Amino acid sequence: MKMIIILPLVVSLSACSTLDKVFKSKPKLKPNTNKVIIEDKSEGAINAVVREQSTFEWSESNELSAKVATMPESARESAVSVLKDNDTKLVLYFDYDAIEISKENAQEIEKHIQFMQANPSIRLRIEGHADERGTRDYNLALGENRALSVKEIFGFYEGLGARIEVISYGEENPQSKMSDEVGWQENRRVEFIYQ
Amino acid sequence: MKLSRWLALFLTLGVGIAHGVLEITVVKKDENTFPVAISPFKLMGQGTQGKGIAKIIHDNLERSGRFDVIIADAPVDEVDVGYWKKQNIEALVTGSIEQESEEIYRLSVRLFDIYSNTNLFTRSTRVHINGFRKVAHQLSDHIYESLLGENGSFNTLLTYITVKEDAKGKKYYRLNISDSDAMNAKSRIKLSTPILSPVWSPDYRFKDKKIAYVSFQNERSEVFIWHPFVRKKIEKLPRFDGIASSPSWHPNGKSLVLTLSKNGNKDIYSYHLASKQLTRLTHHKAIDTEASYSADGKRLVFTSNRSGQVQIYIKNLTNNQINRITFTGRYNAKAVFSPNGEHLALVHRIDNDYRIAMLDIKTQELSMMSNGVLDESPYFSPNGDMIIFSAHRDGKGVLSVVSVKGSRSYELSSHDGEVREPNWSTNLE
Repeated sequence: MKMIIILPLVVSLSACSTLDKVFKSKPKLKPNTNKVIIEDKSEGAINAVVREQSTFEWSESNELSAKVATMPESARESAVSVLKDNDTKLVLYFDYDAIEISKENAQEIEKHIQFMQANPSIRLRIEGHADERGTRDYNLALGENRALSVKEIFGFYEGLGARIEVISYGEENPQSKMSDEVGWQENRRVEFIYQ
Repeated sequence: MKLSRWLALFLTLGVGIAHGVLEITVVKKDENTFPVAISPFKLMGQGTQGKGIAKIIHDNLERSGRFDVIIADAPVDEVDVGYWKKQNIEALVTGSIEQESEEIYRLSVRLFDIYSNTNLFTRSTRVHINGFRKVAHQLSDHIYESLLGENGSFNTLLTYITVKEDAKGKKYYRLNISDSDAMNAKSRIKLSTPILSPVWSPDYRFKDKKIAYVSFQNERSEVFIWHPFVRKKIEKLPRFDGIASSPSWHPNGKSLVLTLSKNGNKDIYSYHLASKQLTRLTHHKAIDTEASYSADGKRLVFTSNRSGQVQIYIKNLTNNQINRITFTGRYNAKAVFSPNGEHLALVHRIDNDYRIAMLDIKTQELSMMSNGVLDESPYFSPNGDMIIFSAHRDGKGVLSVVSVKGSRSYELSSHDGEVREPNWSTNLE
């Protein structure tokens, strides 16, 4: 079975100017333009027919990440420890029902971008989460949008988007069990997990 | 006997599984309840089975909140109308059970209207020894219909998720099914990763009944289909990019709607099981999710934040028009149609609380159905008389069932964990 894989739009800009650009215009999910066809050999891949008015593409971020060489665990751990020593935050927090990146969060994301550029074989999983308020399905969608709005900034740098996987746990994996504003704030978050 | 075959399978699947068992507490009954007496069923011949039937019927009618039911001290042979009138009883159920063969019994039941001194129905049926509970639910539906003139919802099934935390704080999620009275509970799927959104397929026959649900077992949300009554592998829907969530069946049982996040954009798609065809039903850059069909399949209700607020929309599938339906409050989500299509049950935010509300689609009248802080996942009983939803009691997740009219309610709770995300099947064969 052939699957069409979409590579993110590749833009080469310096860190500073991109962040400025992001903050002058509110981040929006942009359409992808480049398409690469790869064969899906994953076990249990099921063929699905897509019927739609417009043409439709499958995009498989996981399959794509699999093409990037994996970093040995020890090397990854020591690399990530440098990031921690550097006080880089591995968790970013959000407002209620919001996906916007604050200026503080953008500065942290910039450190992660530099880190990924310095470690070309490290891969990143961005996990989006929500607090328990509202419905579970909506929160699952909201968590993914938080993770995607973080990933979008990485996407401005050449080669980074392809090394990033985005997933959402919605409200299912809370960091805090408290049912109050303090607990909710801790749970409205995006986590960086290096792989 | 055809009935006995699936019942035997039903029992085989359930042997030795005691998880996911719920306890029922009747919280509130109607002000004007119907006084009914049930005679213990008379056992004839050698057989000893079926003694529990009177108790199951009693519990069903009591739980509905519309009856006051007593069980007579001894089996009633002759109906003494004067005596029952003095007891203020308006209807009487009598019955007998006789063994015909090793596994087959003959069950005879009569419903007598004390008030008008008339026989409302007499029924005689053969029952397999494993089928008494099922027959008790069918009889409860007959009694309910004969006395109230409305369909019963007793011969139906529930599905729900239970979550238990072990001593180390590790969570275990179970997907459970039970009879409508929470008895006969079975749990076949247990995972250490979240399970969400179980929904019964609308099929009438047990062998066709399926549950679609969301699982994170592969570290991402994916939709699966489980056949609880036949030995068939759990099916996984094709792997879609991003999240796949919020499945809900088309009333014909042949396709389901779900939320897919393709290129990050969350929209609603219909997936046809046999042809594996995917059809996109919403096109919007905002979040569209929690879709659910009306019983005639002509309308689709869903949640969207396209206005900047989380609100409910209905797509008319005949002319493809989408209209916003909720205008009260800043957060309305996870709506489902009532069986007659006139109302929606939904999650409504009021101040800082999330409660269950019912909306009259035509008049826009919004009625609050619950008073909790984090109530969610409303679903109608198949006769539209009750709404089941997840609530929190003493910091623990329980299922609450409230009447649409009147103030009847009862609660389903688990002694060793949290219960959430209930879904109620349509009436069974």
